[in-house]
Amino acid sequence: MMNLPPDLLAAADTSKMPNVGYGALIALVVFIFASLWIGALANRKTREGSFMTGFFLGNRGLGAWALALTATVQSGGTFMGFPSLVYTHGWIVALWIGGYIVVPITGFGILGKRLAQLSRRTEAITVPDLFRSRFGSPALGLVASLFILLYLSFMMFAQFKAGAIVMKTAWPGSGVLSVNEDQKPFALSEKDLAALKEDQVSGAVVEKLAPLIGHGFSTEREMTAQLKSLLSAEEYTETKDRIVKRSKQLDRLYLYGLAIFSLTVVAYTLMGGFLAAVWTDMFQSVLMFFGVMVLLFASLHQAGGLDNATRTALKNTGPGYVYGPGYDDKFEGPKAAPNAKTAPRMAYDAAVPREFLPLSLALSFFCVWVWSGVGSPASLVRLMASQNTQVIRRSIYLLSVYNLGIYLPLIVICICGRALIPELPGQTDEIVPRMALLATADWPGGSLIAGMILAAPFGAVMSTVSSYLVVLSSGLVRDIYQRFIRPQATPGELRKAAYLSMIFVGAVAVAVNISPVAYLQAFIVFSATGSAATFLIPAIMACYWRRATVAGALAGMIGGASTVLSLYLLGILEKTPEQRIGQLTSFRPYYLCEVDPFVWGVLVSGLCSVLVSLLTTPPDQKLVSKMFDKETAA
Amino acid sequence: MIDNTDPVVRTGRREALIVVSIWLTAAIWSVTTSYWLGYNRPVEELKLIWGFPEWTFWGVAVPWVVCVIISWIFGALFVHDAHLGEELPEEADELGLGG
Repeated sequence: MMNLPPDLLAAADTSKMPNVGYGALIALVVFIFASLWIGALANRKTREGSFMTGFFLGNRGLGAWALALTATVQSGGTFMGFPSLVYTHGWIVALWIGGYIVVPITGFGILGKRLAQLSRRTEAITVPDLFRSRFGSPALGLVASLFILLYLSFMMFAQFKAGAIVMKTAWPGSGVLSVNEDQKPFALSEKDLAALKEDQVSGAVVEKLAPLIGHGFSTEREMTAQLKSLLSAEEYTETKDRIVKRSKQLDRLYLYGLAIFSLTVVAYTLMGGFLAAVWTDMFQSVLMFFGVMVLLFASLHQAGGLDNATRTALKNTGPGYVYGPGYDDKFEGPKAAPNAKTAPRMAYDAAVPREFLPLSLALSFFCVWVWSGVGSPASLVRLMASQNTQVIRRSIYLLSVYNLGIYLPLIVICICGRALIPELPGQTDEIVPRMALLATADWPGGSLIAGMILAAPFGAVMSTVSSYLVVLSSGLVRDIYQRFIRPQATPGELRKAAYLSMIFVGAVAVAVNISPVAYLQAFIVFSATGSAATFLIPAIMACYWRRATVAGALAGMIGGASTVLSLYLLGILEKTPEQRIGQLTSFRPYYLCEVDPFVWGVLVSGLCSVLVSLLTTPPDQKLVSKMFDKETAA
Repeated sequence: MIDNTDPVVRTGRREALIVVSIWLTAAIWSVTTSYWLGYNRPVEELKLIWGFPEWTFWGVAVPWVVCVIISWIFGALFVHDAHLGEELPEEADELGLGG
C-alpha cells in the first residue's frame, strides 16, 4: 500500500471527493437502453402463448440460467448493504452470510419440482392462485393475495426511491457514490452546509453542524432532537426550519431521477411482463459477476495479497475485525477514543460496543437466508415458471458456482478495502464504488468501468422493481379482477387490465416517493422477512402434506405474519430493553432470546398450521387425490 | 388400499429431506467451527490460512467449496427427472376449483 502512485493515494484519501465524471451517467444510459431492448425482445416471446401465462409466467419456459440467477438472488438493496457490513464489521460477516453455502440446493431442491408440478395441475399463474386451487378455497386465495399485495407494495416503494437516488447520484459532480436501501430521508452533506451559509445561517451554527455530515435521520423528530442538543436555544429556533428543509433529500435532481426511473421500468415491464423482469435480472446478475471478478483481482493486487490485506485491515481497526462477534468501529481499535467522543450520539447509538453477531444470531442467519429464500413469494413464482426438472437441476449447478464466485470475493474485496481505505466515516456504503475507482484509476477507459460498477445497483434496483411490478399486477388482475370482479373477462380485457394495473402501481409508487411517509422504512424492513415467514410453511404443506386443511394454511399465514410483525413493532416502538446485538439500523426488531424474528415467525407458523390442520375436518379426498396421486388418463 | 401417490411427490419429499439434512449439517459445522476457532480469542494467536483467518477458512470457505461439490453430486445423483404434467389451454381454465 506504501508504493501506490500519487493519483491512487489521492483517490484513497477519503476527505477528497472522487470523481467519476460521465462514466456512471453513460453506464446508466446503457442500462436503460439495454432494459428497453430486453423488454421488446420479451414482448415478442410472450406473444407465443396465451396472454395470462405468457405475460405473467413466461409460458412456464424459464431455462436454467434465468431460474438460477434470479430466483434466490437477493434484491438490489441487499447487494448494496452487504459490502458495507463487511467493511464495517470485518471477517465475521462471512459467517453472517454463511447460510448462502446451501442456498442453491435448498432454494431449488426443497420445493422446486413439486411446486412446478402443482402449479401445472392447478393451472396456477400466481402464488395465491396456487393456494386457492390446491386447497379449493377462494377465501384462502384472497388472504394470500392481500398479504402479497401489502408486502410487495412496501418493498417496491422503497426500491423506486433507491432507483431515483442512484439516478441523482450518477450526475457528474454529485459527490455521492452509492445508495443504501436504508437511505435516510434527512441528511446533511458538505454541500448542504455551504448552501446554508449562503442562506445566511451564521458560520458558528454551520460549524456546529459539521459533525452531522454523513449521518442520516429517519424522521424529522429524530433530526430536530439532534439539532437541539447541538445548538443553543436561540440558534435552534432561528435556523431549525432552514436546516431541516435543506436536509430533505428531495430536490429537483431527485424528482428527475424518479421520473426517468419510473418511466423506464414501467415501460419495459409493460412490454415484456414476467420475462422482461427475469431477463433484465439475469443481465445484471451476469454483469455483476464479471464486475466482482475484475474487482477481486485488482483489489488483491493493490493490497498486496489477502494475507497482507487482513493484517493491514486489522492494524487499521481492532481485534474484532478478524474474530467474532465482529468489529465495532465506534468503541474499539486505535481510532476509537477520539471518534467516540466527537461523533454525535444518535438516539439509537448505545455507549457500549454492539455485538454484531453473537452465537444466537449466527444460527438465526443460517435459517434466515436459507428459508426466506425458499418461502419468498417472488422465488415461489419463479419455481412455478420453471420449464422442467432438468432446468431445476442445472439451476442448482449454476447457482452454487455463482454464489461462491460472488459472495466470497465480495468479502475479500471489502477486507482489501479496509486495508487500502482505513476509514470511511458515514459513507461505508461507498466501499465498492470507491474500490472500483481506486482499482481502475490507471486503466484505459477506467472511468467507464468504474461507472459500470457504480451503476450496477441501478440495474439491480430496476430488475427488482420490475419483478415486483409483475407480481403486483398479476395479483390485481388474476386474483382480484378475474376472480372476483369479472370472471368472464376476455384476453383483450385482461391485457388492458394488466397494463392499467402496472401504470396505476407505478403512479402510486411515484406519489408515495414524492412525499415519503415516515416509518415506511420500518415496514419495508419487516416485509422482506415477513413475507417469507408468512408463506414458507403453507407452501411446504401444500406440496407435501395430504392432511393439511384450509384453516391450517390460513392459521400458518396469519401466525407467521403476526409474530414477525409484533417483534418488529416491539423493537421499533422501543417497548423492549435495548439490545446491543445485530446490525445498527434505525428500525431494528426485538430479538426475543437474541434470535431473529424470522425464526420465531416460522416456528409459530408451523405450530399453528399443524395444530389447526389436525383439529379441523380432513380435506376432501377427491381434491387431495387430484393434487397428490398419479394422473389417470382422462 | 393401493398407494397411488404420484412419483414426483414421493421423490420430491425424499429430496427435500436430504436437502434439509445437508442444511442442518452445514449450519452445525459452520457455526460450531467458527465459534470454536473464532470467538473470544486473543489477537496474538491469529493464524491466517491463505489470508483468511483460521476460523473463516475452516468454518466458511472450506464448507462453501464442499457444498458446491455436494450440490453437484446431489443434482447428478438424487434429483429424479420427472414429467411435470401438461397445462390445459387457457380457454379450458374455469377458475380452477371451487370457483
